[in-house]
Amino acid sequence: MGKTTTSAAFASGLALRGFKTAVIDFDVGLRNLDLIMGCERRVVYDFVNVINGEARLNQALIKDKHCENLFVLPASQTRDKEALTEEGVEAVIRELEHMGFAYIVCDSPAGIERGAIMALTFADEAIVTTNPEVSSVRDSDRILGILQSKSRRAAEGREPVKEHLLLTRYSPKRVDDGEMLSYKDVQELLRVPLIGVIPESESVLHASNQGTPAIHLKGTDVSEAYTDVVARFLGEDQPLRFVNYDKPGLIKRLFGGK
Amino acid sequence: MSVAPAPITRPIEFRNATLDSTIAMLRVADAPALADALHKMLGGMPDFFNGEATVLDFAELADPPQRIDWPGLLSLLRRFRLQPIGVRNLGPELTEAARQAGLALLDAAELGAPDAAHATATAPTPEPPPAATPASAPEPAPTATSTLFVDRPLRSGQQVYARGGDIVLLAGMSNGAEVIADGSIQCYGPLRGRAIAGAQGNAAARIITTNFGPEIVSIAGVYKTFEQGIAESLAGKAAHVRMLAHGAEQKLGIESLALD
Repeated sequence: MGKTTTSAAFASGLALRGFKTAVIDFDVGLRNLDLIMGCERRVVYDFVNVINGEARLNQALIKDKHCENLFVLPASQTRDKEALTEEGVEAVIRELEHMGFAYIVCDSPAGIERGAIMALTFADEAIVTTNPEVSSVRDSDRILGILQSKSRRAAEGREPVKEHLLLTRYSPKRVDDGEMLSYKDVQELLRVPLIGVIPESESVLHASNQGTPAIHLKGTDVSEAYTDVVARFLGEDQPLRFVNYDKPGLIKRLFGGK
Repeated sequence: MSVAPAPITRPIEFRNATLDSTIAMLRVADAPALADALHKMLGGMPDFFNGEATVLDFAELADPPQRIDWPGLLSLLRRFRLQPIGVRNLGPELTEAARQAGLALLDAAELGAPDAAHATATAPTPEPPPAATPASAPEPAPTATSTLFVDRPLRSGQQVYARGGDIVLLAGMSNGAEVIADGSIQCYGPLRGRAIAGAQGNAAARIITTNFGPEIVSIAGVYKTFEQGIAESLAGKAAHVRMLAHGAEQKLGIESLALD
């Protein structure tokens, strides 16, 4: 669905803006974030080691190779999800705050299991990524419900977690052809403010294979779209881009088109 | 000063509690026929119920049989995630077998009188209002204007129950959510999940929404599903649902609402 790609790109985007940022992989057992960030060979200690007291937090944090002030806390590949305890996660997040991190991005695994619940428990804001298809939208609806009932903010009766909707793998052409939900449909179904639309693109694939977060691929639509998302998150006004399909004019004239 | 732990003086203690239960009016007692009917009624939603305590009411049993296949009947209800706890209005010749099957024998007074609403709709002679009989105290006192307000969207997998009153949804509800009220349901925004009004049998309850698109609506136990989709004239429009009584037959009527 693009959660890890988005976490990597979004965290990098915040770091590029000069914020000291940490990104934590909550997908214990699968461990993808370090691959996408291109730091998998530098993983010595992981999130679970820190929770279990087997390593100190600054031993486990990996400095990103692209951004000076971005750090990755990788997930463990060998443990199971139960290793994430609420107290342990809370302690790590508090310590990161104490270390002066301005933003802590929690990369949630798919589903509604422990990893996902732990990723959202301490959230102040949540970016819910969804694909423009009915089943994905339904899953996102479910997770939005869980967000508003299981998060600390909900449990303590504080102001609810601020929700943002991010559409990934969006293809304006397929929307035009009626094969995909439009971003307006999705927004109408979920009723959450849209923070951005990431176009479907081959460059995302290249980026993750190279271990480079998509936002660093200068000049691509995907990079621009993620840059817009970061800007909107920081409260700047950005018009929505990459949502309209420009019919290929010349070809249309030559071959008659549709 | 004694150091021995205080002996437990009363190892078991009994307290009074009232239990909210679902009443299943069985008009036939034949498990296969009921299985058919349940299947038709709940269709693709075998988990519509959620282990609710259920009292089997045989008052309207059309043709009382010689014996009832209790194990078959109970396992059928459990399969639909109902938890039978007792029977009432069962003919005397059948009660012994019911007791042996582990069901409590209840009479109408023990259950309060939620059939007052039922009676008006199904029986030609309405019973006297429950207020007249102090014996029916266990019924939850309907606090006159208890309305439950839900400010946030009701999301897939979430359920809200307005006990003894109405519910107002101010941010709509999604597919896969469920809203239940003993009174009426008002929904500002899309009504997309399951809406169950008059859950205790109030046939006068209504369902009102500014954007009609539910999976199922129900008033006082009468259901309507939308397997074939919702009529174009209603889908996404303001609408309201109420009970229409055509003689003995009860049906839900859905009409569009003019908002301006």
